[in-house]
Amino acid sequence: MAPAPPVRPPRLASWLVGLFAAGERAASIEGDLLEEFSELVSRSGVGPARRWYWRQSVKTAAALAGCGFRAAPWSTLAVALAGYLLFAAAASLPERVTVAVLQAGWHDVTPYYTWRQAQNYLFWLNNGVWIGRLLLPLLVGCAVAAVAKGRELATTLALCAVNGVATGLEILLLSAGHAPEYPFFLPLLLVQFANSVLMVTGGVITREIRSIRPRRVARG
Amino acid sequence: MPRRGHLGEFEHLVILALLRLGHRAYGVTVRREIARRVGREVSIGAIYATLERLESKGYVKSALGEATPERGGRSKRFFRITAKGMSALEETHRALARMTRGLALIRSFS
Repeated sequence: MAPAPPVRPPRLASWLVGLFAAGERAASIEGDLLEEFSELVSRSGVGPARRWYWRQSVKTAAALAGCGFRAAPWSTLAVALAGYLLFAAAASLPERVTVAVLQAGWHDVTPYYTWRQAQNYLFWLNNGVWIGRLLLPLLVGCAVAAVAKGRELATTLALCAVNGVATGLEILLLSAGHAPEYPFFLPLLLVQFANSVLMVTGGVITREIRSIRPRRVARG
Repeated sequence: MPRRGHLGEFEHLVILALLRLGHRAYGVTVRREIARRVGREVSIGAIYATLERLESKGYVKSALGEATPERGGRSKRFFRITAKGMSALEETHRALARMTRGLALIRSFS
């Protein structure tokens, strides 16, 4: 009878740890986790071993993120602040770019729009702005991670923290200037949460692109 | 914040684990030693974050060991205390001894 194939740890958990560590450091940490996982599988079974691996991976990612920040707190914060200022300065860019592109494409010889043309124009105006708004935090996250080489995720998480603080201040200012039942806090919070998720996604994309080359070299 | 030359609480535990383990000290064994003796379950990430901090201070040195199949072909990273690390440990112990001298600790906490 052929021996059973070795049980592999959860891939998503391994990927999560790999996001916060690189090179030899990542190999040592992943090796340690795998060694304990293999022992746990033979001692307690696959289920408990997988649960242990997940817990360890989440805790390890959090510890490494904190370590990445503490290694260079001021430069991390400076890059995160610069990223936030870039994001704030470019906030109206999606609208302006969309309108400019539509103007360039829709400069009709006649001054009138048909109903269909008007519908198309409004469709692209609306969706173009939304696509731009989704792309902007993603690109800012990529840019911040590109500057913070080796601490991509720690820096994009710091950027999210700065964004969160700025949102808090904005809410305070809005509530000071308006009635307490001001109805736009929830949409504002949701939009800023989505922005933060997209910024981190940008950091993850940059980190993954950077790790492709060392992985290829390691495979020979 | 620990003063320069003094170890933080977790740094202290990790250095003592290195001292106990000798040449067998790497992430897994350090984690287990602390869990076994102190009853504190810590993550591999916390161990590495502390060991790397100690390494940047010059208290610890690391070297890559052998790769084994149960580690998916990845190498172990062994750690050992340097002379500077030993001095920091002794200084921390001296400070603790000065602070605890004359106190009946066991009685006052029971």
